[in-house]
Amino acid sequence: MTPLTLAVVTAGLTQPSSTRLLADRLTEAVSRQLADEGRQVDVRVIELRELAVDIANNFVTGFPSPALDAELEAVTGADAVIAVTPIFTASYSGLFKSFFDVLDNAALTGKPVLVAATGGTARHSLALEHALRPMFAYLRAVVVPTAVYASSEDWGSTDAEGLSGRIARAAGELTELLSGRPSTGRAVDEVLPFEQQLAALLPKS
Amino acid sequence: MARILALTGSPSATSRTEAVIEHVAARLRGQGHRIALVPVRDLPPGALLSGDATQPDIAAVADALASADGIIVASPVFKASYSGLLKSLLDLLPQFALDGKVVLPLATGGSLAHVLAIDYAFRPVLNSMGAEHVVQGYFLLNQLVTMSERGVTIEADAEARLLSVVDGFSEVLHRRTRLAAAS
Repeated sequence: MTPLTLAVVTAGLTQPSSTRLLADRLTEAVSRQLADEGRQVDVRVIELRELAVDIANNFVTGFPSPALDAELEAVTGADAVIAVTPIFTASYSGLFKSFFDVLDNAALTGKPVLVAATGGTARHSLALEHALRPMFAYLRAVVVPTAVYASSEDWGSTDAEGLSGRIARAAGELTELLSGRPSTGRAVDEVLPFEQQLAALLPKS
Repeated sequence: MARILALTGSPSATSRTEAVIEHVAARLRGQGHRIALVPVRDLPPGALLSGDATQPDIAAVADALASADGIIVASPVFKASYSGLLKSLLDLLPQFALDGKVVLPLATGGSLAHVLAIDYAFRPVLNSMGAEHVVQGYFLLNQLVTMSERGVTIEADAEARLLSVVDGFSEVLHRRTRLAAAS
């Protein structure tokens, strides 16, 4: 089977970033669970920090730069998306929202999405439910039931009910949505020559 | 008299949101307030989106905001929420930048289906920034706003409702300045 494609959108502002770290842990968990089912996955990580200027220019010019366009296409064409943002003022970051503002309204329709966020304290965990989930609902994405929030104190925890457990559960939910789905990989698209299409329309003699 | 800062989050150079805010600003000036407009679009976008709070223009907005009594937060509705551009400025302000302030949320959008964005998207963010009082907001339908060189024309009923919300904001600010003067 053609490998599935996974687009990982991460909006951390620093390097290294805990947002990227969470994105990597989720990606690893999803890849492992898919591998257990015998599925291969091609991962594309989209670091929004590197696209900040391109996104800003898109506001001014109204169209994306080639670099931004390639990443928007990667998200649009992916079989599933993992989206991770730092939480600022109880919501997604401006950079995260700006990327989805320039993404086409139909780009995520029906697409499985895992949402996750990082924050300094657990106090803003619900931002995933009141800010991220509604935005992806507007985009008609299929968001997995478990959203993963990692606060500073979560990183050390190894207990099954802690961060590791939530990552495994969310990854399992995304894997389940993908299992049995054929890859939308463009390599499998076959173009039927025009003569054949025409011949198919002609009445059989 | 109160000092008011209006943040507008439209990326468009011919923004309805901005035109509406100019109209609102004229009303507030007529009621004795001082008001300054900050289109987020005019701030350096690279610094905004890469999180550079030390950039001088952005630092100047943070200072102006610190000394204001009332804040208007206006944005077009994108993907059922405020714009990412507006949020990128809010992200660069101090954690409790709205501490003790009166805040008026305003939105413009193409569909009545998004009226609740004011209450479920704008309001939680403003509250988390420490706003003392987020007054009634208003969602203005794009189709009811006509722009021309002379400014903006808003359909009569919608304009009356918008201005009544603006007057409510103004009244809260007047009450506070009276209280401050008396104490």
